[in-house]
Amino acid sequence: MAKSIFTIFITFTAIAAYAQKKATINGTVKDAATGETLIGASVTLQELSAVGTATNNYGFYSLAVTEGEYTLLFTCVGYNTIAQKVSLHKNQVINISLSPKNGLQEVVVRAKRLSNDNVVLPQMGVEKLNMTQINQVPVLLGERDILKTITLLPGIKSAGEGNTGFYVRGGASDQNLILLDEAPIYNASHLLGFFSTFNSDAIKDVSIYKGGMPAEYGGRLSSVLDIKMNDGNDKDFAVQGGIGLISSRIKVEGPLVKDKGSFMVSARRTYVDLFLKLTTDTSIRGNSLYFYDVNAKANYHFNDKNAIYISGYLGRDVLALKDVLGTNWGNKTGTLRFTHLFSTRLFSNTSVIYSSYNFVVQGLQNTRSFKATSEINDINLKEDLQYSIGYQHTLKFGFNILLHDITPGDITSPKNSSYNERHVEKRHGFENALYASDEWKVNKHLTFLYGLRLGGLFLLGPGTFKTYDDAGNVISSKIYYSKTDLVKKYLNLEPRFTANYVIDDQNSIKASYNRNTQNIHLLSNSSSNTPTYLYVMSSNNIKPEIADQVSTGYFKNFSDNAFEFSTEVYYKWMQNQIDYKDGSQLLVNQDVESLLTYGSGRAYGVEVFLKKKYGRFNGWIGYTLSRTERKFDDINNGHYYPARQDRTHDVSVVGIYQLNKRWTFSSTFIYGTGNAVTYPTGKYSSGGLTTFSYSERNGRRMPSSNRLDIGATLDGKEHKKYHSSWTFSVYNVYAHRDPYSITFRDSKTVPNTTEAVETSIFATLIPSVTWNFNF
Amino acid sequence: MKTPLIYFMLFSFILVITSCDKVIDIRLDNETDRLVIEGNITDVLGPQVIKLNTNVAVSNTNTYPPVTGATVTVSDQAGNVYKFTEAPAGTYTTPKMIGVAGNTYTVNIVTNGKTYKASSVMPKLVALRSVSSSNSSYNSSDGTRKITVHYLDSKGVANQYNFLMWVNDVRVKRVLVNNDDFTDGNSVSFDLMENDIGINPGDKVTVEMQCVDKEIYTYWFTLMQQNYTGPGGGVTPSDPPNNISPSALGYFSAHTTQTKTITVK
Repeated sequence: MAKSIFTIFITFTAIAAYAQKKATINGTVKDAATGETLIGASVTLQELSAVGTATNNYGFYSLAVTEGEYTLLFTCVGYNTIAQKVSLHKNQVINISLSPKNGLQEVVVRAKRLSNDNVVLPQMGVEKLNMTQINQVPVLLGERDILKTITLLPGIKSAGEGNTGFYVRGGASDQNLILLDEAPIYNASHLLGFFSTFNSDAIKDVSIYKGGMPAEYGGRLSSVLDIKMNDGNDKDFAVQGGIGLISSRIKVEGPLVKDKGSFMVSARRTYVDLFLKLTTDTSIRGNSLYFYDVNAKANYHFNDKNAIYISGYLGRDVLALKDVLGTNWGNKTGTLRFTHLFSTRLFSNTSVIYSSYNFVVQGLQNTRSFKATSEINDINLKEDLQYSIGYQHTLKFGFNILLHDITPGDITSPKNSSYNERHVEKRHGFENALYASDEWKVNKHLTFLYGLRLGGLFLLGPGTFKTYDDAGNVISSKIYYSKTDLVKKYLNLEPRFTANYVIDDQNSIKASYNRNTQNIHLLSNSSSNTPTYLYVMSSNNIKPEIADQVSTGYFKNFSDNAFEFSTEVYYKWMQNQIDYKDGSQLLVNQDVESLLTYGSGRAYGVEVFLKKKYGRFNGWIGYTLSRTERKFDDINNGHYYPARQDRTHDVSVVGIYQLNKRWTFSSTFIYGTGNAVTYPTGKYSSGGLTTFSYSERNGRRMPSSNRLDIGATLDGKEHKKYHSSWTFSVYNVYAHRDPYSITFRDSKTVPNTTEAVETSIFATLIPSVTWNFNF
Repeated sequence: MKTPLIYFMLFSFILVITSCDKVIDIRLDNETDRLVIEGNITDVLGPQVIKLNTNVAVSNTNTYPPVTGATVTVSDQAGNVYKFTEAPAGTYTTPKMIGVAGNTYTVNIVTNGKTYKASSVMPKLVALRSVSSSNSSYNSSDGTRKITVHYLDSKGVANQYNFLMWVNDVRVKRVLVNNDDFTDGNSVSFDLMENDIGINPGDKVTVEMQCVDKEIYTYWFTLMQQNYTGPGGGVTPSDPPNNISPSALGYFSAHTTQTKTITVK
């Protein structure tokens, strides 16, 4: 493996040596107003349409071209294009600041050349979301939400109403790698899933990869959701915030050293619990129910070549039933990043990342008090390098050393408690990776993006490690004493390949194959967003999950790139999938691995996407036709059955219309086939209770779901010192009862019979209003 | 540490404001005429009963066709064999039998040319100390009470409990089980949480405590998990694993039984 990477590297170095009389332009593209670096801005040459690049995750670009006179074009969605003449005879640094467009202006002065990146860049299966759009999409209780918005894209499905979990191309919700400034987020939901952990105020850029995963990402089967926080305004101090019905938020940002360094701090808190205090109902008054989160970031640019970034996130949910039970949970992350330019062509980013998730459940009653905790801590050292060899090759390579420290479960209790203390053994392991990839522009029409990732899991001692048979009985047990004892090792080679054939600058065809593996698995036997997440690493019993995906797509732009159309077809095979045996109790259980059962899965589908990115009226229509199935020996007689999240049809429509300078209207509509469910096929009496019997797993469907939400933003009159706006939204406009669950029980009206009961969460429309300000 | 219950409670706390229920019509597929075995051997001297039925369509009334003409015997590990006779149809009894702690009982049923077997171990009795009622912190506003059972778990052995509750002689339609995973050897107070019948002062509440073996506990625990449809619809329901082979519905349980009745204060 190491040898083949070395060979690839040598080959490219050789290519580089042959490339003659070339000069390199490199630099950083920023927002002129705030100094934020821009991700994915495209840099092209007017004279050579085939030559171009895009800024990377750090706003950096590098482009090598044959010496000559050129006009460089810098374009980015939401910004005015800049054309810069350059006389290129030696390496040059060109740093550019793009000024943001004012919505209406854009209609009048139509940019000469709108981006066709989606057609010409080889990456497929990716969606980038524009924060202005996210902020205009109407949402529940006015709490705008990245995760809710991405589920409006084709191929990405919401886990259901009041749930921020999401499924990508048939994968499970723990198969998404969610990164916030490169730190994995283990639980992305607040308030049992009604809100996500991402405060949009603090977010700069959101990209989601559904397929054709770049080699720099790994560790999860289905998708990568890469979220970058704002760096902070390095020109002026700014304060912005909002006051809503259930929560308020505030953000402060400004320069540390003008044009060189800046900071940003953003926080929010819900206050439903403050209302609880006002009620006279004593049973509600003592309860707690809230969450808060804080995002902070600072950066300093020493010079053109060196910059340092430090960022962090802290969030916590607290839920308590007065004097009975309390629970709280949350994520903590920290990222320290150093970017360095070795040469005009070699860019490096070094990160040290910390990520932690824990939850606490507490019994508060006197003789029944206990405290149960579970925790996962990660320390990660990551090195990513980007090397441009001519304009034909961009090489990316790097490594990742990640240490997982898992405390699966601890119970502590006072002496008089009926609960005993219990400590499940901690687990340690390294999840390491080595990768290299190349984007090779073969000619005007053909581009290859190919790479290889070698992922490894090294499960370490100390502890007692057992191996179980299918029935869950211990076959063997071995005690390891030292932190350096290797218990189990898995190495997985993950090839990634994408080809793009550009027919012309408005049409292209892409195809990709990629393999992904996953060595950290979430165990949670309710399908829900309860915070009792338990993470386990691959082990003697659990094998790495493996997914192979092939996809192909057609991409077309029309009306001068104002409209983007794409359709992608995919097929995915999944191995070593995990489910639980009936009656499993996963919490604080030393033998949790004895409760697992393993199977396989497959998912396939077609996605159609039409998007209008620019203009007064913009938005998109997404449609997915898909199937997702699982196969386990001991479920459904070993036959394939639809996974719960299998949704045949899924439609979403998003429209945003800017009426005038002050009013913007938005609307979303969703329709989806009901979840696959298991209904009873008979009943009998068991211990005096009506009990149901079942046949086929998930053989039936919930009724289909649909919902219309609308929103409006009223911008306040222009004012020198401050700016304010009102956001109104109505969730579930026509008060549709979207079925949440269907259960069966003894009839309350006709004795001795059974009735089916449909529960809906939001059977009414839910209006909300938020006041936003900045100065 | 009954997690599904905890989240069921917390979640309903949030949903109470907006969620709503509606009785609907659903056409279901039917797979009926499956054999259902309900066998109980208790530690009380007297007739022991094994019932054989078949399941019916969900849309039917709750009357289950008896399986008649079966040969039913129960034996213990010492070789004692008890013959069960049918009366009325589908109900098989042996007049005088007492289950003894530590004994393994095996039922043998021959019906329609097929033989079914199931074994269950009668656990040692753990005494039910008392049953009490108190204000429920969960829904105290409506004046309803919760019922708590108190017992001293025996140390060093795995104990499993199944509780049945009646309010004014009406069975509470909830599976209520507990084990000593987290409470081994301790004095335990266990709340019989239910939302089926509101319990008020003056009500007569009867609780039966059964000490059951591990397989029977898993059977009831699985049913309990399926009962609490928490966020996302809870666990996917399926026929709970039981001790009968070849596969049939129901269970065969050898258990101890104790009953206490209180008047709710």
